[in-house]
Parts: sequence; structure tokens; C-alpha cells
Amino acid sequence: MINSSHTVQGLDTHGNANTMKDAQNTQQLQQWLIAVANDRDKRAFAQLFSWFAPKILRYGVSHLNSSANAQELLQDTMTNVWKKAHYFNADKGAVTTWVYTIMRNASFDMLRKMQTQREEMLSDDIWPLVEAQTAQEGEYTDHLMQKEIKRYLSLLPDAQQQVIKGVYFQHLSQEELAKQLGIPVGTVKSRLRLALSKLKQKMGGKL
Amino acid sequence: MITHHPSDELLTAFTQGELTASLSIAVAAHNELCPVCQEKVEKLNAQHAQMLFDTDNETIDDAGNDIQESELNWMSMIDDITDDDSQSVLVPIDTKSVQLSYDNVQLPRALSNVSLKKWSKLGDVSRARLELEEEPIRSSLLDISPGGVVPLHTHKGFELTLLLDGSFEDDMGSYHAGDFIWLDKSHSHSPRTTDGCLCYAVLDDAMEFKEGFSKLFNPIGSYLY
Repeated sequence: MINSSHTVQGLDTHGNANTMKDAQNTQQLQQWLIAVANDRDKRAFAQLFSWFAPKILRYGVSHLNSSANAQELLQDTMTNVWKKAHYFNADKGAVTTWVYTIMRNASFDMLRKMQTQREEMLSDDIWPLVEAQTAQEGEYTDHLMQKEIKRYLSLLPDAQQQVIKGVYFQHLSQEELAKQLGIPVGTVKSRLRLALSKLKQKMGGKL
Repeated sequence: MITHHPSDELLTAFTQGELTASLSIAVAAHNELCPVCQEKVEKLNAQHAQMLFDTDNETIDDAGNDIQESELNWMSMIDDITDDDSQSVLVPIDTKSVQLSYDNVQLPRALSNVSLKKWSKLGDVSRARLELEEEPIRSSLLDISPGGVVPLHTHKGFELTLLLDGSFEDDMGSYHAGDFIWLDKSHSHSPRTTDGCLCYAVLDDAMEFKEGFSKLFNPIGSYLY
């Protein structure tokens, strides 16, 4: 368990109200979100969904003035949770803070869309979810490509799949990945090289 | 060294998404330069999130029926969301830079997706309005050229100036990049800069302001803001 000053700062915001139940919630939510990030675990996502949904709806009704808008906010927020789970960093704060950021941002953009003719999404520049970079949907072609790559990927040995997924899908650095898998960086590098050349072969120059 | 910061009330409203886009941008752009306020905002964020989400099980009794009814919808929403297995990818931020009277300056991230209208110049000041559609609130970038002076004026509403680059002085002190200066009708000032500066300015009541200002600037009173 990492217990640096970062985490202490995150925890002190819980203050004295930090009951046993809060602590359990915090841990449970984190497990679910990490399962979504690492394993695309749909059951964990459904758990997160049922925990957050009534709260997001309540927020949506009070901020966006209709239950239809609240439903849209729910869909928007949880879609982002599903697609951006791999950006969550437990050292930077609790799952609730992370989901709040996504929900507040989606709500802000929806409100602006309702009040003005303007289409641009400003919230991610005002309250960035990821520092120094912006999270965006891949192009449609990238999406198809990614699906195809995933299919070929499943033909590789597990160890090689792991490094490709870590580096290209979760955007971990080779050092971070080595630490997570408990293997030397050199091994990550060689597995990656091997995996990429095999992928290229299998895909017949499409990569 | 930044000496002027947004108030705690403003930071709280900012984290709760209650400020207009123009002021949210101002606070965000200040925070990009100010680790002190950035840290405050992170704490406020966590507190507010906890307040909204960690409210135990009050929904089970209150909204139990509603939730059961909508659970059917939820199942299809969950399927809908998880059917698409693509993940979001990171792309570099496309920050804008602007060519000013004295230098080329990089704009803060908070402004990277905001459209600017054309620059227009009057005396020492060039102004580009932001296309945010929040009338009567107006926000602009102001490029004051080296040696430039903005004539003495007061504010009937509020005037928020975020100094993005360079420095200026007025009757109350001198300011540096990152300073977040909130003025109202109790202040009058005449900013002047030696080496040029870039400000982000937000005003809330153009008509009222125009009255006071137009006395000095008639017939182009509403020009500056």
C-alpha cells in the first residue's frame, strides 16, 4: 500500500466524518473502477453504475431541470467512466472525486449547449481530467482498427498480450508496466518487440 | 510572484460548476499559473464530491420505488455503454498562441477551444472578444502595447482582470502574470504598462459600464469592453 504524502492529502479531505462505512465504500469503488480499467469488467461497471446512478440523477434533476436531461447526464457521465477508467489514478484522489469531475464537466457542457448556440466543449479545458493532455474519442477508423488489432492480439501468447495492452491501451510507460507486472524493464521491452513483430506478420502489413 | 488570487467563495463556486464560462476560464487560467489555488480547488473538489456521493443509503428508502422501476432502463443503458469497447485516447492539447504588439504569447489551456473574434485596435489597446454568448457578460483579451495607458475609469458592475503575460501598474499597485484582480464600483484606476502586457478581462454589465466609461470615451464608449 502506497502511503505517501499524496494519499494523506487525499484522505484528510474526508476529515472526521470518515466512518468505517466511508472507508469501505472508498475501497470498494476503487476495486470496481480498476477492474473496469484493467479487465473491461462489465459486472464491476454495473456495480459502479448502480451505486452512482441515483446520485447522478438527483444532481441532474436539480441542475438541469428535467428528468430527461438527468437521464442524458447519467448516460454521458457513465459512458465517460467506461471509456476513461484507465486514466483514473488512485494516488490523485478518490473515485468519487474522479466521477464528480466527469459529471460536473458533462453537466456544464450540457447547460451551455442549452443556453447558447455554441457547440464547443469547454469543460475539459477548464477542469482537465488528465493533466497536460486532453482525452478524446479516437477517430472512427481508429476504432475499427483497434477492434481489428484486438482480434489479432488475442492470437498472441498471454505474456505478450499483457505488454501490448499495458502500453497501447492503458498508456502505461514501460517502466510503470514493469513495476505492475513485477518484471524487469528489459523484459517488457523484449516482449513488446516480439509481440509487435508478430502482430505485423499476422496483420499482413496493415499495422 | 502572484499576489492577487480568486476569493475562496469564487473557488468554491468554480469547483461546483456554478460560474459562467467566462469566469470559469478566468479561474482555470489563474490556476494554471498558481499552484496554491490549484491545491485549494483539488481539496474543494474532493469535499464536494464526498458531500454529493458519500451520503450513505438515504436513497434506498426515499427513492426505492423509482429506482426499481428505472432499473430496467438501467440494464439497457449499461449494455448500451459497455457494448462499445473502445477506450478514450490522449491527444496533445492544441493550445493557441497569439501575436501581440510586443511578443508572441501562448494562451492558457483554458482558452484552447474558445473562438476569438477579430482583433481591433484603439490607441494603446487591442482587443479581441471571446465568442462565449453570455451577454451581458463580456470577456476579451486585451493587448496593451509597451508604454501604453488605459485612461482612468471606474466600474459600475465588476471588472475581472487576469494578467496573462507581462506586467502593469495602476494607482493601487503593480501586477504580474497570474494576478487575478477583481474590481468594482469602489475602485477607479488607470492601468499602464512599460513593456506591454496581455490581460483577460471579464465585465458583467456592459450598459452600466458604458455610461461611466463613455464620459471619457464618447463617442466610442462601448469600444473597449
